[in-house]
Amino acid sequence: MSVSSSRKITQILGAELGKLVTLPLIWLALMWTFILNLVLAAAFTSVGLQGAAGTQSVLNIGLASMGYLQAGFIILGILATCSEYTGGQIRTTLTTIPWRGFQLSTKHLALAIITIPAAFIIATSGVLYTFFMMRDTAVVNEIDTMIQTLVGATGYLTLTTLLSAAIGALLRRTTPALVVLLGYYFIVSPLTRVFLPSIKNYLNYFPDTAGYYMYMPPSSDEINVLTPMQGTGFSMLWTLIFITVAIVFYRKRDA
Amino acid sequence: MRAFNAELSKLLSLPGIWLAFLIGAFAPAVIAALDSIAQKDEIIAGVSTRLSEVGYIGLGFGVQGVIILGVLAVSSEYLTESSESSGGQQITTSLTVVSSRLHFLLAKAGAVTVISILLCIVAIMTTVSTTHLILGEYAPAFEWSRLTGAICYWSFTALLAFGFTFLTKNGILPLAVLMINSSIVSFSVLLAKVTKLAFYLPDRAGIEMFMFTSDRSHTPITGSIFDRFYTPLTGGLVMFAWVVVLLMVAAIVFHRRDVAS
Amino acid sequence: MLTINNLVKHRGTQEILSGISFKARPGRVTGFLGPNGAGKSSTLRILLGLDRATSGSALINGKPFAELHNPLLTVGTALDGSGAHRMRTGRAHLRWMARAVGLPRSRVEEVLELVGLTNAAGKRVGSYSLGMGKRLGMAAALLGDPEILVLDEPVNGLDPEGIRWIRTFLRERAASGNTVLLSSHLMGELAETVDDVVIINHGKVVADGTLEEVTGNHFTLEEAFFALTSEHAGDTV
Repeated sequence: MSVSSSRKITQILGAELGKLVTLPLIWLALMWTFILNLVLAAAFTSVGLQGAAGTQSVLNIGLASMGYLQAGFIILGILATCSEYTGGQIRTTLTTIPWRGFQLSTKHLALAIITIPAAFIIATSGVLYTFFMMRDTAVVNEIDTMIQTLVGATGYLTLTTLLSAAIGALLRRTTPALVVLLGYYFIVSPLTRVFLPSIKNYLNYFPDTAGYYMYMPPSSDEINVLTPMQGTGFSMLWTLIFITVAIVFYRKRDA
Repeated sequence: MRAFNAELSKLLSLPGIWLAFLIGAFAPAVIAALDSIAQKDEIIAGVSTRLSEVGYIGLGFGVQGVIILGVLAVSSEYLTESSESSGGQQITTSLTVVSSRLHFLLAKAGAVTVISILLCIVAIMTTVSTTHLILGEYAPAFEWSRLTGAICYWSFTALLAFGFTFLTKNGILPLAVLMINSSIVSFSVLLAKVTKLAFYLPDRAGIEMFMFTSDRSHTPITGSIFDRFYTPLTGGLVMFAWVVVLLMVAAIVFHRRDVAS
Repeated sequence: MLTINNLVKHRGTQEILSGISFKARPGRVTGFLGPNGAGKSSTLRILLGLDRATSGSALINGKPFAELHNPLLTVGTALDGSGAHRMRTGRAHLRWMARAVGLPRSRVEEVLELVGLTNAAGKRVGSYSLGMGKRLGMAAALLGDPEILVLDEPVNGLDPEGIRWIRTFLRERAASGNTVLLSSHLMGELAETVDDVVIINHGKVVADGTLEEVTGNHFTLEEAFFALTSEHAGDTV
């Protein structure tokens, strides 16, 4: 591996960023996520307005759509890595940048650079909508808490995106990757929580539940099992494990 | 008929189809097993409020298999992913083989329906036997009318996925929307809290063909919006109307657009 | 200089390549021939570091592909198809490649002009015809102005004008001291372009030498090819 100069790193990062921003599907996914999130925020707000005044906080309602919102970011992550396998682009990529581990890590970095602002804007838009609709009826959180929670939500969405990208790189096909991830986040995980409450404590350490503690509004009555920092730690650990596994396979197998 | 056979063999040779079969055949059984385990004590004590839903809950939440089937049947015509290029779209070949687009669409829909019915029968067998294995003599009897409802629900869901993908030409959106909607955090449930109109949504209406048949189904996960709203028959008809409308729209759009675009 | 040395590749229980060795020298166009499934693409993919060899080596100027300091500036490659995502424009595809190796954007316009794609550069790759995809692949190969070109079926899908352009272009590249390795099925076309010929069949080299040596007593390269690769090699003249 003859990559030492930082110039090379910036060049390749630039190339990976260029690949992402020139892919219309990425923009479509982000746009749809933004729109659907606002629709969902409106739905949750309207449900919230039916409730008694002063019982709910803006953050609780504004972030209620997070459960759905993560789907958009899962798709974003999968698109970023699986798009390499359309039209034989992976060959072009690997003949241009043959240092595989380096290339895939740079791709994740580029993806994070795009995801962080997008996630922040989208999460904030939902909370702001709720804020303007409900500021008279709901408890308005302090600005510090708001910002902290939104940063947590952004972090969670970014980690989810990166984890999805790693799964996408492992499976290489959009459909199986999507089925596996949506199946876990939307079907397996919630159903296990409902049916097997006895193992709830173990579930806390899984990527989605651990990540939940990153943005879960601290005002809730439930006893927080993990602190936001612990939640962040476990989510990050999962993401790093999956990225590492993806890189190991990526380096070993035939393109 | 020949077009139908061709579509059937095309579907069965898809690389992703094993995933659909695997999930379709076993997901309902796993969900039913988890539910049975969770409720075993209550059922044996005779205090369970959800006895009538044991097993069926698996068939309700386990439709992902046929969703994948319906989506793949169409998206595979438009996009192939592989490390080799050959970005050919199979749809071009398909339409030169079966020249009438309507025949092509009907043959494909027929193949999807047949496979999802078969898949649902397999799922019913695995689900019923798992429930019996776990609950033994306490397992509820499965009624034919409700099982038929489940089969209809599965094939209608597959056809909805099929029609939806024809409109988008890309499997990502239909797969995401329908999979999330088949989960316990379904959009339809959320919307039902906002407006009564949501009860006319296809999945919400269709599931009444075999779920919520008892009037007192208030449970922690479900809640009052899962109360019975239709009779099984009207629920089925509402869902079927959605399928027919969606397939008609898909047929019109498909007929009018250029193949390659 | 490309050196393929005793290359063996297994995929599952199947042996795709069983000991391929040959060289492609600077200043010459080397044609790489074989029937479908003979192992041409596998050899090229191993040479370019896409696939791993079970044993043996494929070296570029004495180094494996991944150890080249700047691969795009050393080896230009065009394998089957365009190698670009269907939804990206041709220009965007070349731009990210240029950015990865620090080439200026003006170089992208130069190669687009060179392969005659300037007018279609703003369209999505998915809307390209087979020949246009091929041209985009060539543009990508030429982007870094490399001393070595590895091309898989370069004339497949090109119009007569494009074929003639490729032929003269490759001859010029070789004449100025570059190495060109190309695989093809089109015998007549190949006979007019190449200096050296390597023929493989069932994962083994069956002929290796200059065009004259390989053609030998046969009238054309095509006859020699069939004599060498047909199952009943003894039956034909």
